[in-house]
Amino acid sequence: MKLIDLYLDEIRRQLPPRNKEDILKEIRSTLMDMVEDRNPDPTQSPNEETLKSVLKEFGSPREVAAQYGAKNYLIGPRLFPTYLQVLRIVLIVIAAFNILGVVVTIIRQPNIDPGFLDTIAEVVGGLFSSLFTAFGIVTLSFAGIERTTPEEWHVEIDQEWDPDQLIKHEDVQRVSYTGLAFEITLTLIFIALINFFLDQIGIYYLGDSGWVSTPILNDNFLRYIPWITAYSVFDIGLNLYLIRTGFWDKWATLAKVLINAFKIAVNFAIILGPAVITVSANAWENLGFDLDFTARQLTQGMNIGLDVVLGLAIFGLIVETIKLIYRNFIKGSGARIEIHPD
Amino acid sequence: MKDDAVYEQTQNLVQELRRGVIVLAVLSQLDQEQYGYSLMKSLEDQGLQVDQGTLYPLLRRLEEQELLASDWRVETSRPRRYYILSEFGKEVLENMISEWDRIKTTMDKLLSYEKEI
Repeated sequence: MKLIDLYLDEIRRQLPPRNKEDILKEIRSTLMDMVEDRNPDPTQSPNEETLKSVLKEFGSPREVAAQYGAKNYLIGPRLFPTYLQVLRIVLIVIAAFNILGVVVTIIRQPNIDPGFLDTIAEVVGGLFSSLFTAFGIVTLSFAGIERTTPEEWHVEIDQEWDPDQLIKHEDVQRVSYTGLAFEITLTLIFIALINFFLDQIGIYYLGDSGWVSTPILNDNFLRYIPWITAYSVFDIGLNLYLIRTGFWDKWATLAKVLINAFKIAVNFAIILGPAVITVSANAWENLGFDLDFTARQLTQGMNIGLDVVLGLAIFGLIVETIKLIYRNFIKGSGARIEIHPD
Repeated sequence: MKDDAVYEQTQNLVQELRRGVIVLAVLSQLDQEQYGYSLMKSLEDQGLQVDQGTLYPLLRRLEEQELLASDWRVETSRPRRYYILSEFGKEVLENMISEWDRIKTTMDKLLSYEKEI
């Protein structure tokens, strides 16, 4: 009966853990019944041919395991739509980063030479390499979720669909996937810029040896980076949640209100804190601004300009927060912002 | 070639048709306790062939749905799992039989109408 043991071992490897041993016990019992039934001489042990024919009839171990709910797929039907959405977003984000790379390369090398074309080819090659890596990470993450999340958590696929939802959602304000994906992309670029390329945010001018940049954000700005990064990450998290749910629920609204309050506080801190912009006199001279103003006056002007921009941002955030609270908490839960694929 | 296609398509549809009645057939046979293999043979003897790959997972599903109860027993030197209709299963079966009668009457009417044409 070694053949039966080997067969059961093969099934064991592919069965889900739940009731595994009990299932195997029942299969063994059935196989023994079948063998007994087919054995031409019941007084003798069944020959190998009989065993093989019984196993063949019972089916391949993979088929048998699948009948008992073994997962022969990496990402199942419940998670697949979300998986595709995330892949789409990753594609847009990575493509945007790489296009930005091409644009920066073009700006930095206005004179086309063979080295320049190589750089462009490298950036395009980098796109594919980043895509493969990112898609791999997303796929593995989803496969992990598929295997670790209890079945009862994936309920939405079986929930009863009500056609009234079509009417209820007909008049709501719509937000597109593209809009959210674009927002996520910009936020990621922003996070990367302030954390890794802060010295690249500055004034660009054509010097003797090509384009030269002078950073404008000084050390005072560094203390705000963790806070700005934090609310940007929260923003991305909220946008991913919105893509998942498809509409603004109470929790999303509450999260947005808190994120906006956080942003307002950080903006106020920047306005009230020491100046964050400093531009060297050399840079102003190169831009031809040294005739009527001193570098100090211009720097002051830029700081005031930044404060005005931050003040307007605070005003915008307050208006947006009031609107959200009114729409989702005061006016009622009927108003939702729907997302439509486009 | 055409005959092959007709045969193949017929087989597919017949299989689908059978799949639809297997639950009813299985429940109908379990007012007396039976183990999987004996149930399969009994169905086969009465003209309904069900393969093991379908029957055993189905029995477990029906047990999870509390339509069946089961227990292991050692008989003739080998442990066997015996299944029997639960009280809940009996009530469900009764309703299913009534529904089956309605479907059968309707189908008989539909098919005899087809024949008249």
